[in-house]
Amino acid sequence: MTPSVVQVLRPASLKDALACAATGDARLVAGGTALQLEWAKGLPQPRRLVDLGRIAGLKGIAIAGGELRIGALTTLGDLERNQLVQDKLPLLDAAVRTTAGPAVRNLATIGGNIAGRAGCLLPVLLALDARIESSTAAGQRIMPLAEWLQERHGDTEIVEAVIVHIPETPVGWTHRKVGLRAAFTPSVISAVGLTEIADGCVVAARLAVGGGPVAPARLRGAEALLAGLRLHEIDWRVIRAAIESETAAPDDAFRSARYRRKVAANALVHGLGGGPDGQSSRRLAPAARLPSPPPGEIRLDRSLAGERWHMRPDGPAKVEGRLQYLTDHRRLDMLVGRILRAGIPHARILAIDTSAAEALPGVAAIVTHRDIAGSNAFGILVQDQPALCFDKVRYVGDAVAAVAAVDAETTERALGLIKVSYRPLPVVSDAEAALSVGTEPIHATGNLLRSFDFERGDIDDGFARAAHVVEAVYETPRQMHGFMETEGGYAFVDDDGVLNVCAGGQYGLRDRLQLSRILGLPEDRIRVVTSPTGGAFGGKDELTVQPALALLALKTGRPVRLQLDRAESVLAGTKRNAMKIRMRTACDSNGVLLAQQVEVISDAGAYASLGPGVLETALEHACGPYAVPHVRTSGRLAYTNNGVCGAFRGFGANQMAFAVECQMDRLAAQCGLDVFEIRRRNMRKPGMRGYLGQTVAPSERLMEMLQAAAADPIWQKPRGISKDGTEIVGVGMAMNYQGNGLGTLPPDPGGGALRLAPDGAIEALYGLDEMGQGLLTSIQAAVAAALGCSRDDVRPVTGDTGRTPESGSTTASRSTYVVWKVAEAAAPALARDILAAAGERLGRNPAALAIAPGGIVERGSNSGVPLLSFATLAEGLDPERLPFAVTSFEFPKTDYLRGNARMIFAFGATLARVAVSRITGQVRVLDLHQHTAAGPILDLAAYLGQMEGGGMQGVGFTLTEDTVMQNGRYVTANLDTYMLPSIADAPETMTTFALEDLDPGDPFGPRGAGELGIGAVTPAIANAVADAIGWWPPRAPFDPEELLDALEAP
Amino acid sequence: MTTGIALTFRLNGEDRFIDVSADMRLIDILRDRLGLSAAKKACGIGRCGACSVLVDGRAVNACLLMAWQIEGADILTPEGLDAVPEAAIIRRALAEENAFQCGYCAPGFTIVLTALLRECPDAGEREIRAALEGNICRCTGYHSIIRGSLAATQAIARPDAAKSPDD
Repeated sequence: MTPSVVQVLRPASLKDALACAATGDARLVAGGTALQLEWAKGLPQPRRLVDLGRIAGLKGIAIAGGELRIGALTTLGDLERNQLVQDKLPLLDAAVRTTAGPAVRNLATIGGNIAGRAGCLLPVLLALDARIESSTAAGQRIMPLAEWLQERHGDTEIVEAVIVHIPETPVGWTHRKVGLRAAFTPSVISAVGLTEIADGCVVAARLAVGGGPVAPARLRGAEALLAGLRLHEIDWRVIRAAIESETAAPDDAFRSARYRRKVAANALVHGLGGGPDGQSSRRLAPAARLPSPPPGEIRLDRSLAGERWHMRPDGPAKVEGRLQYLTDHRRLDMLVGRILRAGIPHARILAIDTSAAEALPGVAAIVTHRDIAGSNAFGILVQDQPALCFDKVRYVGDAVAAVAAVDAETTERALGLIKVSYRPLPVVSDAEAALSVGTEPIHATGNLLRSFDFERGDIDDGFARAAHVVEAVYETPRQMHGFMETEGGYAFVDDDGVLNVCAGGQYGLRDRLQLSRILGLPEDRIRVVTSPTGGAFGGKDELTVQPALALLALKTGRPVRLQLDRAESVLAGTKRNAMKIRMRTACDSNGVLLAQQVEVISDAGAYASLGPGVLETALEHACGPYAVPHVRTSGRLAYTNNGVCGAFRGFGANQMAFAVECQMDRLAAQCGLDVFEIRRRNMRKPGMRGYLGQTVAPSERLMEMLQAAAADPIWQKPRGISKDGTEIVGVGMAMNYQGNGLGTLPPDPGGGALRLAPDGAIEALYGLDEMGQGLLTSIQAAVAAALGCSRDDVRPVTGDTGRTPESGSTTASRSTYVVWKVAEAAAPALARDILAAAGERLGRNPAALAIAPGGIVERGSNSGVPLLSFATLAEGLDPERLPFAVTSFEFPKTDYLRGNARMIFAFGATLARVAVSRITGQVRVLDLHQHTAAGPILDLAAYLGQMEGGGMQGVGFTLTEDTVMQNGRYVTANLDTYMLPSIADAPETMTTFALEDLDPGDPFGPRGAGELGIGAVTPAIANAVADAIGWWPPRAPFDPEELLDALEAP
Repeated sequence: MTTGIALTFRLNGEDRFIDVSADMRLIDILRDRLGLSAAKKACGIGRCGACSVLVDGRAVNACLLMAWQIEGADILTPEGLDAVPEAAIIRRALAEENAFQCGYCAPGFTIVLTALLRECPDAGEREIRAALEGNICRCTGYHSIIRGSLAATQAIARPDAAKSPDD
């Protein structure tokens, strides 16, 4: 890493600019929007930047002589807001709006888009026969863009303007940019077509492709075929074939050349009037009559919620940007830390030399494995990950050293001066290959990290008696959590000598335990603060930056801050375990399930983290909510050099639901049953033992969820071929079934405390974390309900081992129960103490008093005014003897101990209506409806947010998200290619329903909602695709090329 | 080692003069030099919108702008929205809808919405979706943000009706 040494030159004329550029190692800059991305990809930073912004005459749009002259420095934003462009060149307008994102367009210029020679506007400009006005040292020239693109560009040249002829006669046009998601996406290919038609005859056609890795080019052969043809005489199959063969496009890690050619041909043929080729879709009649939904089910919507709608307490501060995240803290004496990553997937460390970095002025400390006083190993389940590597590195993101220096620039320079010598080892990049004999072992224990086997009944007998068997292999992606706040925080040693580590997390006490082991410090010398956290979803459950932060703060004795940039977060952070699930399912002629055989291979990456738990949980859901007599499951978890995988919302259950719920629809099709009837015949009955034979909690609502799914109005919406013929619409459903809590085997402590604070607030102390899910609002709701005060009286205190008690982890859909249980258990004691103190103060019998919003009232009084406010009561009390109530308990556990089993489950059914594009094979989710039964809702808005947010993460998992790796290295290095769903990917409608009732006497209260939202989204979409086109996508994210092939299959 | 430059620009209504490296990015200047932490840095390559600020009234990515590019610019950060009347209405509507969860993306969304609704106060869902294509939110399904934005357009159209009784 070389520090930048940049000089900015600001010439006032083209001549001066060309002279500046000719000085060497210089780069012409207009909007400059490509630079950060180029530099992030490792392209060298030039020493000189030549700002074109001061040169007159390069901006603006002018019309003259039937032509539009667009100055090179015109931003794309100015173009899209320009009335002339909108009126005269709608094709260009359409193309601009699909280029980059709106804010980038406010900076990026058309000149930059052209000069980069790969811009998304080039195909459009080619089709418009645009000319380029440019200057070199040799002088000014104007030449057709097509010729300009073909020239070898040796001399420095400045694009001044692009000149576009405005068509005199109306032309037909089509433009389609095919990307990796719906908007703000890298281009897979862009295809553009223009036709001039007169008297039903094609006078001229101009076709072009380009975008991303596709070289911009006109398709002159296909153009020639079209020219002169009468419209009704065009043989579009010939045109399609001509476009496909003429389009030159490469393969890359995301899409094949074949796919690019196909979609370009489809887009152009359809856009020019040829209509999609391939299978004609069956038309599906909307359901005529729907059954009734289960009684008591409500739709979650602010307009229907009335007094149940509350604004979350941290909402205004977040919207206004006033909330201080742990990565926002800055102090003058604070050092800036960074971590040196391996950058190589598998190697033996020969030497680490930090001397040059240490000698750099401004460097306060460098830490390596030599600075670790305790055990250099961490991991929630297995301590197999070094805090700082010493003998080997096992993935590209492995931490090798860390630096603290006075500022970010010095820290980066110091990182570049640390010399680590490696001897590369063979890279193991495939989970199945990892387990073959002779493969390089990643750990001394071998590459099989864990295996799980389970058998019930007689599997062979089950299959022998089957009338129908379906077998398929389902693959799921290495999904990235993509929390917006990357891992980070700050650390310092306080005046009492206590090490404070403040970094986003999901279980402060466990982070403290892990740090204590690494640092060789007693736990009571460490305080860990984990709230507020800017999103986690499981990805901050394991330690992230804490060891490096702690080591640096201890070594320097100064406060240190450290936050991963996004690229480093991708490199180092945990991901969802990629899984391959082979499932063979049998039923009898009545559709009653007989046998289920499941084999899972899961990629752990380089270290265990929670991978074993994820696989075991996946297998615990291997039959979904269905009763199957004969079962055999096996799961193997392999170490590879592919990053690290671990906890992620759904925790294996959603991966397994993809397989189970698609199998159910496939069997239904074979049996001739509808998708509800086959599930009805196989659904487990309330009160039955659980899948592993364990006792499960009451209030099962599976049949109710199935009924809700059958009654959903989505079935009355249009299905089949779309009006314009380009899409086929289908509806699918899937059941949702998710265990809560950590299970029988691991410790799963819960607890918390309530107290009257000196200022009169009812403080609710929980060692849980607000990561966005709505913990604070849920605490307010639960405590207010249990105590009788108002939500505003309650002040939640969370995520701070110095202030909050043991509550367990904020994971596994467990914290809703913990929040509720603490409130229920501690409120009576707190109320008793408060009322006793109030009675004494007021000279009244405490039994005649009650707690109400704002303070203490006379029991049974209707007056809204308290006799005594909480604040006045607290003021008069000894601060050491304020009312306080604490409780602790184990999260409810079941009786099965041969493996890990859950007792409490939450239930749901998800429905999706999707449109499959006959042009691109891409899937759009039109409507996503989620029916849920997770007991009484603590906070309606937070619950709704969990369902919608989980649903959207499920849409991403299904359609766009995968951290692609090649030979142990990430291809998707940042959010330019890792496709988190954008707002354009959000379904047209999202609707969430809840059934809240519990069985009489059910002691478990509200169930966790955190994972329910993602649970069944993938199979609902897959089943909807099958409803539309008769084919189940076996791999998530769905491959549009496979979908196109399926569409074209006879 | 970078060549430092003396920079003059307007920031949240005040003239500022600072010396920084020419290639220091605006988001780093805001967060690390000026202590303005409302704009966030979440991708650093202009692909998420968390760092959005207004430059001369238009939303741009502060991670893409280098110091030398902001000379003479008029910049509003999320902190600067305190002085923008429309922003107060938008913020309130978003908060009341519980539009956000972790909130890390929220200031960036609010900046973009402010730019949109100042220019196009009657924007509908289509315009709102188009304007927000460059802002990534990982927690929500975006629908809460759309609902909050639509509520904001209604409140802007009828500022009196939108006030709560407790105002």
